[in-house]
Parts: sequence; structure tokens; C-alpha cells
Amino acid sequence: MKQIANFIVNGKACELAIEPHMLLVEVLRDELGLTGTKQSCGIGHCGACTVLIDGIPTLSCLTPALTARGKNITTIEGLAEGTRLHPIQKAFIDYGAIQCGYCTPGMILSAKALLDRNPNPSREQVKQALSGNLCRCTGYVKIVDAVLAAAESMGKEASE
Amino acid sequence: MARLLKPFEYFEPRTVEEAVQLLSKYGHQAKVLAGGTDLLISMKKRKITPQYVVYIKSIPELDYIHYSQQAGLKIGALATHTAIADSAIIKDKFELLASACGKVGTPQVRNMGTIGGNICEGGPSQDSVPSLLVLEAKLKLISLHGERIVPIDEFFIAPFKTALQEAELLTEIQIPTPPPRSAGCYKWFTKITTVDESLAGVAVLMLLDSTDGICRDLKIGLCSVAPTPIRARRAEQVLRDKKIDNSLIERAARVAVEETSPRSRADYRKRMTGVLVREAISETWQKIRQLHLRERA
Repeated sequence: MKQIANFIVNGKACELAIEPHMLLVEVLRDELGLTGTKQSCGIGHCGACTVLIDGIPTLSCLTPALTARGKNITTIEGLAEGTRLHPIQKAFIDYGAIQCGYCTPGMILSAKALLDRNPNPSREQVKQALSGNLCRCTGYVKIVDAVLAAAESMGKEASE
Repeated sequence: MARLLKPFEYFEPRTVEEAVQLLSKYGHQAKVLAGGTDLLISMKKRKITPQYVVYIKSIPELDYIHYSQQAGLKIGALATHTAIADSAIIKDKFELLASACGKVGTPQVRNMGTIGGNICEGGPSQDSVPSLLVLEAKLKLISLHGERIVPIDEFFIAPFKTALQEAELLTEIQIPTPPPRSAGCYKWFTKITTVDESLAGVAVLMLLDSTDGICRDLKIGLCSVAPTPIRARRAEQVLRDKKIDNSLIERAARVAVEETSPRSRADYRKRMTGVLVREAISETWQKIRQLHLRERA
């Protein structure tokens, strides 16, 4: 039986009726039309479905949507302000850290969670934080470079 | 594999009492959901198709890490691997448990998965368990009939089969404070896969007398090398009450290998057990000697 669920998705409150067996990735993509969140392996290995729940990287493919009631959910659509990209998104483009793009939303959200709590990470810390996000195109070097560059540009922005 | 779940009825109890009432009412048709990182995979694979799902992260009082010298460490079943791996008190006094929880899965899995879920999954390769075995953790299980305390080395019965009864809920993990001048570590070797599941995991806890260098106590816990996580008790005996040296460590490692009974890749797992036991004991021995030196300084 459907139950009512309230979420805050990318800062906007939304209320919908959902079946208990519906996963958060399904609700985001199919009910809310937020197709930036990707589903790939479906068993929590690849990290493509990563979203932030109350700021914490979480696998939306292993999260029944009802369990996220009342929480703040951030998807990749929540990062840009209008046409102004988030510094991490911009760095991914500038550094060629996107190839097929399928892992990118999850990758960027894991990176955002890291930079939100540690604005000045080491290369090793970036690798650690992204170790639950698989990329089969880039070989990771450009992704790590992009996150470090984003950290730097966000630091500059903050001090200006 | 199906990406979607089969329909089920869903409950969000607010208290332990409510939860055990639901478990008691629906019996084997109900499953407890916490972090979901194991259960949902089994549900997607249709290994488990519960009619009722009881989500317990809605019970706030089960998520805590408390410590006092006297009472030891008490961890609520819902503490996540991330919370345990990052806990200052656990890193300081129970470092082998912090490093085991920091090894589980991926960052996302550690953010979601709970220590209670890791234990109750009952698989042979649960990373948190060897450390809990050597720390002699006790598990608090609650049902409608009251609570019982089960030592963790009596909890694992067969692969994915534990002493937890249908209508019981694991609520707390209790760990006594290790004696002063003891140290431990968790070492592992992984399969090279997306989540780096342990091929062999070894936890060691050692108590050493600083005056004569005699090993007063040694405990060795293993995972992934037998149908359930185990203590290597005969290997422990090799070193207990002896003055430690490298050849004795070597012998303990050989005995530990004999105590394993891997379900697959037996030869490789056995060899790696030997290597890891040797490394874990040596590393722990070094740690304790440094501790003693620091105390004297």
C-alpha cells in the first residue's frame, strides 16, 4: 500500500505517495524526473546511483525511498545555480574528467561531500573518498586532478 | 538479476518494543532492515522475499557509541561503520575494530551499513567480526520475552546462520576494555573486486608483560577462511605464557593455518592466513614494545 512521503530534494519540499518497495533511485528518476542520478550495477558496488542524504553519500539503488522520509536529498541537479555550474562540475569539464559521463553524477556528489567536510584534501584523501565510485573510462587520474582543482578554486572563492 | 524489489508491507517502529512485537507477529515472513547494504541485495537477487519489512533506523536510541573505563565500550546496533571507524575513542582504545570497520565495503556502504547488520548477516567474511571475537564482545538480543546476552563466539552457527532467533533483535554490542599494556590489529587480504571482499581477515589482541617480555594473553580471530568467523585457539596456545620470538610467531601462524577450513580457494586462503597471522602478531608485538618504551620514558 502506498504511503505518503515528504522529502526535501535539492532544497525543494516535495510530497508524494509511494509504494514501500520503490527504491530512492526509482522515485528520483521516474517520479520526480531527476534522471541525473544513474543506476548501473544495482547492488551497491559501482556508486553511479550515489546521492547525498543529509550531506552523506548514499546508494540510492539500495535505499527504499520511504526510509529517506523527512531527509534532505541532493542529486546532481541540485548543484548548479541556473546556468552557473558548481566548481566541481566546472573542474570536471576543464580537466577532461568526464568521458562517457555515466559515473559523473555519483563521482561529483562523493567529491562534494568530501569538500564540504574537508575543503583542502590530500590526493590520497580524494582517492579514498571516491573509492566507492567506479569509472571505466578515465583511469581516475583526471577525476582526482579535477577534484583537487575544484578544492583550490572553491578555497579562492571563499577567501575573496 | 532484478533491479527492483518485490512488493512488501513496510513498518517503521519507533521503539525496540514495537519492533520486537512486529517481529514476533510476522515471524519468518518478516525481515529487519537497517542499512540495507546486505538485505536489499539478497532481496533483489530473490534469495529473500520478505512479506514484511521492519525498518529499524527509525529507532533513534539504537544509534550510539558509549565508553567508560569501567563499563567498557557499548555500541548501539545501528552505529554505522563510518561512525565506528571515525570514533575518537574507538580509534584510541579499540583500534583493531576501527580499522576493521574502515575496511568494510566502500565509503557509501560504510555510511549506510551498521555494525549490527554486519554481525547479523552472519556470513563467513564479515570484517567487523574477527576484531569483535578477540575483544570478546557480547551481544544483547531482545525479544518479547526479555533480553539475553550472547558471547559473540557462540553466535555464529553456520554460513549465514546465527543464534539470533526469528523474533529477536540485536540491540547492543558490549566490549570490555582491554587490559593495559595490550595491543591489537586487524590485517586483511582482499579479492580484487569492486568492493574488495576479504579473502582472509585476521585480528590479533595481545597482552605482554613488560618486565620479562612474556606473552600473557593472545587472541586470534579469523574471517573468510572457515564456514563462520572463528578463533584460532590452538595457535593462541602456542604463544600464551611464552617469551615471544620470530620462530614462535612462525609456529603460531602454521598452527592457525591448520585451524582453517575455507569453503573455496582453500589453498590460497590458507597460505594467506599464515602470512596475515604472522604479520598481525609481529605488528602487535612491535606496538606493545613501543607502548612499553613510551611508558618508561
